[in-house]
Amino acid sequence: MPRFSWRTLALALAAVALVPAAVACSGDDGDDTSPGGAQYMGAIVTPPIEKPDAILMDENGKPFDLRKETEGYVTLLYVGYTHCPDICPTHLYEISEALKKLDPDIRKQIKVVFATADPERDTPEQLKQYLDTFDPDFIGLTGTRDLMDQFQVALGLQPATRTDLGGGNYAVNHAAYVMAFTKDNYAYTVYPSGMGQKEWLNDLPLLVKKGFRKE
Amino acid sequence: MTSPRTRVLFALMAIVALLAALAAVACGGDDDDTGKQQADDGHDHQEFKLGDLTIVDPWVRTTTNNVTAAYMTIKSKGAADTLVSASSPIAGMVQLHEVITEGSSSKMQEKPGGFPVPASGAVELKPGGYHIMLMDLKQQPKEGEKVELTLKFEKAGEIKITAPVKTAAGSGPDMDHNAQGSSSGMGGMASPTAGSGR
Repeated sequence: MPRFSWRTLALALAAVALVPAAVACSGDDGDDTSPGGAQYMGAIVTPPIEKPDAILMDENGKPFDLRKETEGYVTLLYVGYTHCPDICPTHLYEISEALKKLDPDIRKQIKVVFATADPERDTPEQLKQYLDTFDPDFIGLTGTRDLMDQFQVALGLQPATRTDLGGGNYAVNHAAYVMAFTKDNYAYTVYPSGMGQKEWLNDLPLLVKKGFRKE
Repeated sequence: MTSPRTRVLFALMAIVALLAALAAVACGGDDDDTGKQQADDGHDHQEFKLGDLTIVDPWVRTTTNNVTAAYMTIKSKGAADTLVSASSPIAGMVQLHEVITEGSSSKMQEKPGGFPVPASGAVELKPGGYHIMLMDLKQQPKEGEKVELTLKFEKAGEIKITAPVKTAAGSGPDMDHNAQGSSSGMGGMASPTAGSGR
């Protein structure tokens, strides 16, 4: 066998060996499966969640018509409770930090709504005090137990249940993710616990500018 | 005996292997860098030692009501141990909690038996996983203050630590804080994964 063919073979092997490595590297940059080429980092939900048509009470004790008040905005909705020490404040903190870093033109097209799964403890005053520590623009929603249960069902969630912790304390078992409604009143992506500023800074401009409708 | 040709082949194969290895290192490099950044990033890096155990960067979350949570990383350079209980002068009741995510719902509950610290490894208490739950607070911890905590381990015994109060431990826009428990520097992480609602 002529000598050059060994070299050719070896070079070919080298090329073959490097290709998967290169693919593995570029694969981390994100896939291109999102509609219109937009690369969302949130978890895609199918079918999308429709924004409920509900009137609840806001953190100032005023009636709040969710559809009317958030019409034309990207709306981040989270169902939680203020006595939640762990994932609720983490989500709210990550969102509030991301919003500070966004282009103000994008920022003003986003509303953040925190609806309580614990209306017995979460009065409008309690919600306001809690949300103000993150961003005074965050909207808090409460209502009767029935209304809040119906609201969660409308979002495709199980109504929150309690875990007794003893001594009169209890934890509320509630949705773990933030839903992001685009301007067409549907949420196509949700953001589980663990997603933070990086995901929000990537997705919020896309949610505002592009939405999720296929062209 | 190997022919000169075969030797050339082996040499070339070795180069191929080396190049592939370099490429793999280049890929994995991202994770390593993230780990280092996180380690170096600790502005007020704190460590408390108790035998083979090291408590790293504890913090307590601010609150507007009567409950809050404390977080930290507990490393062992020796045998396995277990954090069995905790107490604090600011809390009437303290429990070791885990967050379990099933389907769309997250549940916070007492972790039976406490938090295991693996031998020559670490357990990370972080949002979405384990935390020390402080209840019936006698005062609301405010940012900038320090909270005293007493941790009781099955083998190593008790240690008193102070943890700064923060709004939250920032993840930073460029850091994948999710990767902290899984892929970065510290070996033998026993942190539960925060499930998703997918």
